[in-house]
Amino acid sequence: MNRFALAALTVAAAAVLITFPLWSSGWESSRYATTILRDMLVLAILALSLDLLVGSAGLPSLGHAAFFGAGAYGAAIVAQRLGNDDLLLGLGAAVGASALLALVIGLFAVRAAGIFFLMLTLAFAQMVFAVAFQAVDLTGGSNGLAGVHRPQLLGLDFNGPDALFELVASLFVLVVLILWRVRSSTYGRALVGLRENERRMRALGYDTTRLKLSAFVVAGALAGIGGALSGWSLRFVSTNDVGIPRSIEAFVSVLIGGTGSLLGPAIGAVVVLYVERVLPSSIPFAETVLGLMFIVFVALARQGIVGLGRAAYRRVRA
Amino acid sequence: MIETCDLRRTFGGVTALDGVSLRVDAGERRAIIGPNGAGKTTLFNILTGELEPTSGAVLLGGDDVTRRPPYELARRGLARMYQRNELFETLSAEDNVLLALGAARGPYRPLGSPTAAERASAWEILESVGLGARESAPARSLSHGERRQLELALALAQRPRVLLLDEPTAGMSPGETARITELIAGLERSLTIVIVEHDMDVVFRLADRISVLHEGRVLAEGTPDAVRGDRVVNEVYLGKVVA
Repeated sequence: MNRFALAALTVAAAAVLITFPLWSSGWESSRYATTILRDMLVLAILALSLDLLVGSAGLPSLGHAAFFGAGAYGAAIVAQRLGNDDLLLGLGAAVGASALLALVIGLFAVRAAGIFFLMLTLAFAQMVFAVAFQAVDLTGGSNGLAGVHRPQLLGLDFNGPDALFELVASLFVLVVLILWRVRSSTYGRALVGLRENERRMRALGYDTTRLKLSAFVVAGALAGIGGALSGWSLRFVSTNDVGIPRSIEAFVSVLIGGTGSLLGPAIGAVVVLYVERVLPSSIPFAETVLGLMFIVFVALARQGIVGLGRAAYRRVRA
Repeated sequence: MIETCDLRRTFGGVTALDGVSLRVDAGERRAIIGPNGAGKTTLFNILTGELEPTSGAVLLGGDDVTRRPPYELARRGLARMYQRNELFETLSAEDNVLLALGAARGPYRPLGSPTAAERASAWEILESVGLGARESAPARSLSHGERRQLELALALAQRPRVLLLDEPTAGMSPGETARITELIAGLERSLTIVIVEHDMDVVFRLADRISVLHEGRVLAEGTPDAVRGDRVVNEVYLGKVVA
């Protein structure tokens, strides 16, 4: 496929996604579908940002919700405590808060490797959870921040469900495009080098500690965008947004969908939310399905859904 | 060009290096030989900054670089070919070399991609080590000999001033050994080379001077002819290998 066809296809796919509320409006369950798809896209942003660490750089973070939560609180505090509903200010606060938090946590976490990195990120995320729980004046503590105002930009009001969906889908497309560019860049290649052989990277002249820290901050900042969108979507931000279950949701999305691609984590997020939110209304014990899927993929298909798809495609062509 | 002063390194109670002082001049080709366990790889690990000495100093280009991190030494012009290959296994040979080439400009180019010029020099380097036809093969799919060639290509792509070669011909067939020996012999004369090698034919072909390491000390040092004639060296090392 040449560049022009690829660009055209990307624009078309983005347009179809963003206009979902319009062309699905005839469906009986359009409103419900829009809500579910919106939440899938928010989780997909979180999973995609996490995969920059897990898939590209080989850093298995189990505390990624900390940055999602920092973004959610950042945007909600601008909307609630400051009473400002400007989209750019809210997003700026979200990205700033999550990037800063990622910088502080990263300074310690990136010095560890493998299982120790995993445990450190988990521990730091729990500390963030504890702070969010206790800083009642700022975060509302266990009550959270309810009734978060949705933002507006230059007269565009994102308060209605369709407009909000379009905002979420647009930012999802933006995050995908950013990660697409980053992954194919010199920087993204260096992250893969880190995953493949850190010792050689050091010997070649790369300051690998700094490189890992930068990836941690970029991934944290992108997770913050997801957090802001979550707060606006649900009009509610609470300690759920920084807790272990959210971190695990993102990690499971990445593993089920497949690491090291843009499609994998997004598909994983869709599958995870489908099992969590849609399936329980039709089958009993739906909650256990996710656990079973996780076990099956870790035991039998480490490359995830995307990896299985690729293998099947190769077999068909051969 | 590269110099050590009274380097000592102990691991627990074991002394790996017991006061090693070496001085390799710019453009010199120095071989370090000695039996297994003599401390050769420990010495290399300290020279590249991967291991800290217990005491003593390392000088690179006249500057004290003791305990500096490996990436800083690499930026100062030090490159290493590992004894056990350290490659980017899932990446193509070309991408392996591109990572080495890109180190000079640093990784912080989120909008940059390898340029046509960088790809051209990557191919030139691969061609020079004999991997010109294998540029798109993943490192893990290469044969043992080819992996050694790629290992050398990574070190050369750093455009070093000092090149450390840790048993470059280990595990190679006689044909491959001859090929890589000639390749190293043909490198620019201004490049300083320190080579650890067991194959004495390779050592005598490449080295200007030889240092003999034994039980963490420099036992003897001199031209290949002088070392070959040294009675003590023959007793502890050469005698066992080349009768």
